Amino acid sequence: MAWYHEIASSLAAILRRRRHESEMEEEMRFHLEMEAKRHIEAGMTEAQARRRAWRDFGGVERHKDDTRDERGASWFFDALGDLRVAVRSLRHRPGLTAAATITLALGIGATATVFGVVKRVLLTPLPYNEPERVVAVWSAWQGFDQTWLAYDEWEGWKARVKSFADIGLYTDGAATIDGDSPERVRSGSVQQNLFAILGVRPTRGRGFTAEEDRPGGPAVAVLSYELWERRFGADPSIVGRPIQISGSERLVVGILPAGFKLPLDYTSGERTDIYFPLATDAANEGALAGPEFPQGGSNHGYYGVARLAAGATAEGANAELRAIVAELEKFGYMANVGFHAYVVPMEEQITGRVRPALLVVLGAVVLVLLIACANVAGLLLVRGEARRRELAVRAALGAGTKRLARLLITESAVLAALGGTAGVTLAYVAVRLLRANAPAGLPRLAETSVDGTVLLFALVVSVMTALLTGALPLAHATRLGLSGELREGGRGSTAGRARLRWRQALVAIEIALAVVLVAGAGLMIRTVRNLLTIDPGFRAEGVLTMRVSTPATWYPDSVHVAQFWDDIQRRVAAIPGVQRVAAVRLLPLATEMGDWGLTVEGYTPPPNLGTPGDWQVVTPGYFETMGLTLRGGRTFNSGDDMNGPLSMIVNRSFEERYFAGRQALGGRVRISGSDSTKWYTVVGVVDDVRHNALVGAVKPQFYATLAQFALAPGNTRRSMSLVVRTDGNPKALLQPVRAVVKAVDPRLPVSEVRTMRDIVDAAIGGQRFAMDALGVFGVVALLLSAVGILGIVSQVVASRLHEFGIRAALGATPGELMAIALRTGVRQTLTGLGIGIVAALLLTRVLRTLLHGVSATDPLTFVAVVGVTGIVAVIASAAPARRAARIDPNEVLRVE
Amino acid sequence: MPTEPRSRPRAEVVRGTLEMLSLKLLGEEPMHGWGLSLRLREISRDVFDVNQGSLYPALQAMLRRGWIRAEWRASENNRRARYYRITAEGRKQLGAEIEEWNRTSAAVNRVLRYAFSGA
Repeated sequence: MAWYHEIASSLAAILRRRRHESEMEEEMRFHLEMEAKRHIEAGMTEAQARRRAWRDFGGVERHKDDTRDERGASWFFDALGDLRVAVRSLRHRPGLTAAATITLALGIGATATVFGVVKRVLLTPLPYNEPERVVAVWSAWQGFDQTWLAYDEWEGWKARVKSFADIGLYTDGAATIDGDSPERVRSGSVQQNLFAILGVRPTRGRGFTAEEDRPGGPAVAVLSYELWERRFGADPSIVGRPIQISGSERLVVGILPAGFKLPLDYTSGERTDIYFPLATDAANEGALAGPEFPQGGSNHGYYGVARLAAGATAEGANAELRAIVAELEKFGYMANVGFHAYVVPMEEQITGRVRPALLVVLGAVVLVLLIACANVAGLLLVRGEARRRELAVRAALGAGTKRLARLLITESAVLAALGGTAGVTLAYVAVRLLRANAPAGLPRLAETSVDGTVLLFALVVSVMTALLTGALPLAHATRLGLSGELREGGRGSTAGRARLRWRQALVAIEIALAVVLVAGAGLMIRTVRNLLTIDPGFRAEGVLTMRVSTPATWYPDSVHVAQFWDDIQRRVAAIPGVQRVAAVRLLPLATEMGDWGLTVEGYTPPPNLGTPGDWQVVTPGYFETMGLTLRGGRTFNSGDDMNGPLSMIVNRSFEERYFAGRQALGGRVRISGSDSTKWYTVVGVVDDVRHNALVGAVKPQFYATLAQFALAPGNTRRSMSLVVRTDGNPKALLQPVRAVVKAVDPRLPVSEVRTMRDIVDAAIGGQRFAMDALGVFGVVALLLSAVGILGIVSQVVASRLHEFGIRAALGATPGELMAIALRTGVRQTLTGLGIGIVAALLLTRVLRTLLHGVSATDPLTFVAVVGVTGIVAVIASAAPARRAARIDPNEVLRVE
Repeated sequence: MPTEPRSRPRAEVVRGTLEMLSLKLLGEEPMHGWGLSLRLREISRDVFDVNQGSLYPALQAMLRRGWIRAEWRASENNRRARYYRITAEGRKQLGAEIEEWNRTSAAVNRVLRYAFSGA
C-alpha cells in the first residue's frame, strides 16, 4: 500500500536523518570513485578521471537536495527551519512579541472562556434520557403567564393529550436530615412516574412504586448521589435502611445517578437532595376533564413535566391542549379568565431566559478577539516596515515568494501558539473565578469547565488568529516588488505609506469595534442601574437572612412554634448591633409566592374568578425589619397573638382591587379553609413589595401573624426565614445569630444563609452578568485600541522626524508640532467613531430583551461612548505627539 | 518571442522512463547505484548519461513508494556499497508501466502509420 510506505518513509526521514545523510554521502562518494576508477583504467590521469566523474555526475549538492526532497519529509524540515528563523526573529524584538502574545492571550482566553460557558449552558444536553422529548407543562390565565398545574388538570391531560407519553407532577420543599449535625436539604415530592418521564434510573435500589405514591403509603425516600456521598459516605448498605428525616423515620429505597437535577434545580441554582412520593389524594382531588371538573379550578400548586410520545412535538401538544381547554371552557372551567395550558421544551424552559444574555456576551467576545487580531496584525505590519530590507535580501538570495510567505505565516503561527497557550491558561483561571462567583440566576454556569471541546475550540481560534494576523503583512510582503526594496532609499517610500494606510484602517476598525462594545456596556450599566433603582418595596441593605424549621416531632403545635420564635427573636435582639429581628414565610425575590382563596366582605368577584391573595406569614416586627412602608393603620405588634383579635395587613394592590372605592382599614377578610366565624380585620395597609420579580405586575397580597394563621385557616408554618436588620455589616452577625439558634435548639439546622443584598443581586443576575462581561470586554477593547492609536502616531512621528525637525528649525512652536502629530490619530479615531456608532445603533438591538428602562439607541449612552472613546484616543496619541513637540532640529537634521 | 519548452515536463518524462528502466534492470538482479547507472548507459547507448547524479533522487523516490528496497553489502571489489532490489510491489508497478508503455507506443505507431500512409 503506497500510503503506508510514504508515511514510513517520512517518519524514517525525520527520525533517522543523520544516518540517511551519511549513507547518501557514502553512496555518492562510492559512485564518483568507481566512475573515476573506470576512467583511470581507460587511461586517464587521476586528476582527469576525477574531474570527468564529477562533471558527468552533475552538481552533487543539487542531487543531494533532490534526494532529500524525495525522502518525503522535506516539508517537515522546511517548517523546522522556518520555525527556527521565526523564533529567532521574534526573540530579537521581545517588546513586540510580548505585546502581541498578551493581546492574543486576552482575545483567545476570553473567547475560550465564553465558549466554555455557552457550551455548558446552551449546548450540553440536560442529564435526562432523550432530553429533547421532555417538556414543562404550565397553566396560565389573566395576570398569570406561567403558573403551576392543578391536580385535575394533570389527570385531564394524562388521559386526553395523545402527544404525551406520560405526564407527572412534583413540588419542592425542604427536609432536615437529623443526627448529631442536622442538615437542612432541599426536597422534592414527586409522582412515582416522574423519574421515568425524565428518563433517569436510580443507580442503586429503585424509584417509587404506585403503592408508595398514595396518601398513607409507606414512608420512603430516594437520595441524590451527592447527598449519599456527602452524608452517608457512599455506603451501599444504606439502601433498604431507615433514616431519620425531619423527626421521623423513612426507608431509603434508591440512590439517583450523580449529576441528576430536577428541572427546577437549574433555575434555583441548588440541588434537590432527597425525594419523597408526592402521594396526591387522587380519590378526593381527581376528576377527569369534563363536566365534573371543579368550576374555579383547585389549588394550582404542582410543577408539571411530560415526556412527548415518539414522533410528537411540543407544537402538537400545544394544539391538543388548546382544543381540550376550549372544550373545558364550555363546561365553565376557569371561564372568562383566559385560561390556557401549554408546554415549553425543557431545554428552552431552563436556558431560555439566559440565552439572549449569553449570546450577547458571545458576540462581544468575538469582537474582542477581532480587535486583538487587528492589533497584532498592525504590530506585524510595523515590523514588516522594519524588515523590508531583511525580506528583500532573503528574496534576492533566492527565497521564493512561497518561502517568504511561509516565513511570515510561521511567525504569526508562533505568536498564535504563544497567545493560545497563555489564553488557555487565562481561560482556566477565568472559569475557576466564574464557578466561584456564579450568580444564582444563571443555570448551569457553575458547571462550566475547560474540557477537551473547549481546548479544541481554543486551538481552532488560535489557528484562525494566526491566519488573520498573518494575512495582511503577508499580502504586503508578496504584493510589493520586493526586489525594489533594495534599490529604494527606505524612508518615506510608497510601500511604507501603503502600510501606514493599512494600519490606519486597522485602527479605525478597532475603534469601531470598541465603540460597539462600550455602547453595549453602557446600555447594560444603565439597565442594571435602572433595575437597582426600582423600589422593591423593602430596604435590602443591612439585612441578614437564614432558614430555620421547627419539625412537628419536636414542636407538636403552634404554641410551641410561636414560643420558639419568641425565644429566638428576644435573644437575637439582644446581640449588639442588631436593630430589629423577625421571621417570615417567604423572602421577597428569593422564592415565588402562590395565592390563597379569600372572601372579602363587600367584594363580589367576577363569575368564575375567585378572590386570590398571595399569602405571607410573618412575626410582629417584620415590617420594621424589612423596611416596608406603612400607608395606613398600624403594623403587627405583640398583641396580634393567638389570644388577640385576628388582624390582617394588606398591600396596596389588595386594597385597590378588593376595596376599590372603600376604606380597607376595618374591612373584614376570611381565609378559605377556616371556620366561617373567623374573620380577619384589616388593621394596616403597606406599599407593594415586588415579591416574585423586580419587574412585572404585583398581585394582591396579605400578611397574617404566625400565631393567628395557625388559628385561621389553621396552618402552622414550620419553615420560616429569620430576618435580622443591623446598621453594620450583616455578615458579621452570622456567627452570633447561629449561636443563638444553637442555644435555643441544637437539633435545628440553619440553611440558606444570605443577605437581602445577595438576593436582590441574584434577581438581576442575567443583566449583571451581561453588564460585567460587556464592561470587562469594553475596557479591554478600549485599551487595545489605545495601543493601536499609540502605535500609529508613534510611527507617523518617527517617519516624519525629518520634517518635524525642519519645521522646528523654521520656527514652529512645540504646540504647533504637537498639534500636527496629534492630527494624525484624529482621522482614524473619527472614522472609527463614525463606523462604530452606526454599527452600534444596528447591533445594540440584540440587547433589547435584556434592557430595562433604556432604549437600545439611548442618546445619552451614545454621547458618553463617543466622549470616552475620544478621550482615550487623545490620551493614547499624546505620548508620541509630545516626542514631536520636543524635537531638537539640530539632532534630527544632523543624522542626514 | 520564441521560448524554449519548459524543462520540467521533459525532465519528468525522462524520470518516468528512468524509473521504468531501473525497475526492469533491478528486476533481473540487485545492483548498487553506480552499477545501475553503468548498465543504463550501456543499454541506452548513453542517452541517460546526461546527469548520472539524477539517478539518486529517482532511486530515493522509488524507495519511498516501496517499489525497491536498499541494503548495504560488500561490492565485487570488497567495498561497502548500497544495493537495491525490486520488491513485489515494484514488479507490479513495472508490469503496469510496461503495459502502459506498450499501449502508448502502439497508439503512437498507429497514428504515425496513418499519418504517413494517408499523406
